[in-house]
Amino acid sequence: MSAILTLLAGTFYGLIIGLIPSAGATTGLVAMFGFISYFGFDPYLGVIFCMAVVAASTTGDTYAGILLGIPGANSAAATMVDGYPLAQQGRATEALTAAITTSTLNGLFWGTLTFALLPQYAKLIMYFGIPELWAFILLSLACVGFVSNKFWFRSIIAICVGIGIGLIGTDPETNMDRFTMGWDYLGDGVQLMPLVAGLFAFPEIIAGWRRGNSIATLSGEETHTHQTWEGIKAVWKYKWDALRGGAIGAFVGFLPGLGGAMGDWMSYGATVASHPEEEFGNGNMRGVVGPEGSNNAQKATSMIPTVLFGIPGASFAAVLLGLFAYLGFELGTQEIAADIKFFDSLTFGFMWATVITGILCVVFNKHIAKITYVPYIYYFPLLVGFIIWACVQYTGGWQDYAILGLTTCLGLFMKKYKFSRPALLMAFILAMKIEALSLQMWFIYSVDTLVTRPLFLGIMSVVIMLLVFSIVKRSKLDYA
Amino acid sequence: MKKIFMALVLSLGITTSALAETFTFVVPQKPGSGTTVWTEIVLKELARFMPGHTLKLRNFPGARDIPAVNAFQNELRFDDTIVMVSHGGNGVSFLQEDVDYNYADWESIGMMNLNIIVGKRLDADLDNIIFASKSGRVPDAMGMALLLCGKLDSIAEYTTCFKSKVNWVPGFGNGGDRRLAFKRGELTVDRENPAAYKKHIAKNPDAELWFHHGILQADGSHADDVNYPGKQMEILYEAKWGEAPSGPMYDAYVLVKSFRDALQKAFWVNAGNPNAELLQKALLEMSKDPQAIKAIQKKVGKYEWVIGEEGNARRDTLMSFVTEDALRGLVEFSNDALNIKAVYKESILNADAVDVVEEEEGGIINKIKSFFKSE
Repeated sequence: MSAILTLLAGTFYGLIIGLIPSAGATTGLVAMFGFISYFGFDPYLGVIFCMAVVAASTTGDTYAGILLGIPGANSAAATMVDGYPLAQQGRATEALTAAITTSTLNGLFWGTLTFALLPQYAKLIMYFGIPELWAFILLSLACVGFVSNKFWFRSIIAICVGIGIGLIGTDPETNMDRFTMGWDYLGDGVQLMPLVAGLFAFPEIIAGWRRGNSIATLSGEETHTHQTWEGIKAVWKYKWDALRGGAIGAFVGFLPGLGGAMGDWMSYGATVASHPEEEFGNGNMRGVVGPEGSNNAQKATSMIPTVLFGIPGASFAAVLLGLFAYLGFELGTQEIAADIKFFDSLTFGFMWATVITGILCVVFNKHIAKITYVPYIYYFPLLVGFIIWACVQYTGGWQDYAILGLTTCLGLFMKKYKFSRPALLMAFILAMKIEALSLQMWFIYSVDTLVTRPLFLGIMSVVIMLLVFSIVKRSKLDYA
Repeated sequence: MKKIFMALVLSLGITTSALAETFTFVVPQKPGSGTTVWTEIVLKELARFMPGHTLKLRNFPGARDIPAVNAFQNELRFDDTIVMVSHGGNGVSFLQEDVDYNYADWESIGMMNLNIIVGKRLDADLDNIIFASKSGRVPDAMGMALLLCGKLDSIAEYTTCFKSKVNWVPGFGNGGDRRLAFKRGELTVDRENPAAYKKHIAKNPDAELWFHHGILQADGSHADDVNYPGKQMEILYEAKWGEAPSGPMYDAYVLVKSFRDALQKAFWVNAGNPNAELLQKALLEMSKDPQAIKAIQKKVGKYEWVIGEEGNARRDTLMSFVTEDALRGLVEFSNDALNIKAVYKESILNADAVDVVEEEEGGIINKIKSFFKSE
């Protein structure tokens, strides 16, 4: 009984976190340090709660992206590209239902595969060395920059700016401050939360404010119940996009440290590339189903390196590692591999929270989606309050506000002149990783050793093919 | 009667509010980081020994975890309810970076002293080591240089030798990517604290212990770790090269390893803080409580606690290592061999050591004077 109550509490908490724009699983887990000690009496309940938070917040973060055009977490940005236009067309319930059904089914499928076969993956992960991870990052940037956007030159600029912002902080080689312009606050780098809020949230809020009325208007023809069924049917109709997205997300989750944003954008890029005759960015349901297939699958498979090696599969998993340490579970040890109750708790928390969240969301979608018919003025102060609160959690000082102001200016400029904001965000998230892997590869490998790695060569071939594809057959997508 | 009752209530209220303090423990990292988790675990236990008081954790992140410690030195320490939580990396930064803080100005509440273990892959080529670089790994690099190169005359020679034998690879973080690269064999040597060593290296069938740094004692010496006997750097050095390590490189090594490992986790207040005794007493009681220690050890491993006056004495021992030669050697090796932008800071030199230098200079001048006098 206590396990069920914990599951419900975790699911509810995760759902609330997921609904907050620019928050997400990582934010929700970090906040848990404030109350994780309450699980001291039964740490396994703590595991259930944590996994429920991960599953529920991942599903929940779809709402802000589709309804408001603001990514719930950085991993939900890809869904927004086609989801938000669908909401503007009055098809929010359909988009949400399709997104959540895809996310739930992929979460269940990949969750089952992950948790049932967890110990079998240990050898597989060893095939992915530094060069393969480096090539994989290039592939993800190629997806978001070239395949997903028709202004490929502006995408390159956005990627360069994103990498530039991402490199602000400390030079990993000399341990000195870099690109901080003497501002000590930047020594720890630009924080993700204000960048996401500035790039996406405030430009959309300002657009909504200017528009003055609601995001969508009721057509009167189609009921929300009808849309719910249409959304479910869309998942079956675009099942291959959903499955492809799930497989890509699962693969990215399996590779340590790459994170959810990459999986979603690669899935979106793969969906766009698979249907060159279709238009994306103006409300194509495939563009919702593809990336949404990825996120829950990625969360599930991120647990493989996290549990087996104690090596976080994504940023949320790094926080999870700390929380589990607090509860007395040391991941990556033989003791944990032999702790059946621990694995049962992981599986129970993740799988049931996925199911409950999926059902709750589909049932209540039609009510939640009505927010798109409410004039912006009624809820934007709350939204602004939430976002500002999330952005000033770093130091709480004036610098947090200043960074938010600067990133908002950047976001407004990019939105107006059609520079790819997702490409910038993606490059920012991966900048340090790109630099780190480049340095590692430079110091450890040579051309002679690289050409002996078939996996590396294979991924690089795909990157080159994507580049050629984007030049020869330009994407029609002009979302920025 | 009513007035007396009211006076009693008021005085009781004033007394209680004077006694009940809210202590803020400032952690120089983000939520979820290693030092934050450690602090949360310790505070949870410590709170039981400080009834009536509130213990709060405040994260104050910033570049290389320095801004919080600088803020403590310049401002926060003058608030009697602020406790600074520092870690080993702050110790290394203190020695060779342009930071504001100085441990000599503070009073120790307690510190955890630990050892760092260096492991290598069974197939590692010791003439071509691949090791992840990081400023907190300077002691490991210096230990390696000593073991691999033996007795050399100058830091410059150690630099040349180190560069010829060790590929010091930048770009690795503190955890996952480095450990995985070691498991895959892309890195051939790695190091961990004792708890992480057991998890990531001891259980790796392709790896073995190479050396450890030893545990700092109250008298300033480093003792062998009973968990890994005979594998201390000094013991292995003597076995390989036939004499005990000595010279400027060794002094620099002792300096930096002591500041990193003995100050791995520490609580500090300003010198003369009236609450110091209260905090030290509570920490001492906690360290003697089997239940509390069991709970802490279960989550962070078995480390030695050094509390109160003993902590101040240990800090003084550390400061005694900060001699001109040792510090110059450390800075030179960091800059030239490790490409870390280190700065030499005369301001942190141990006062006694400076006196010794001055006395020696005076001694030389006197000798010259006496030489001419004798002429």
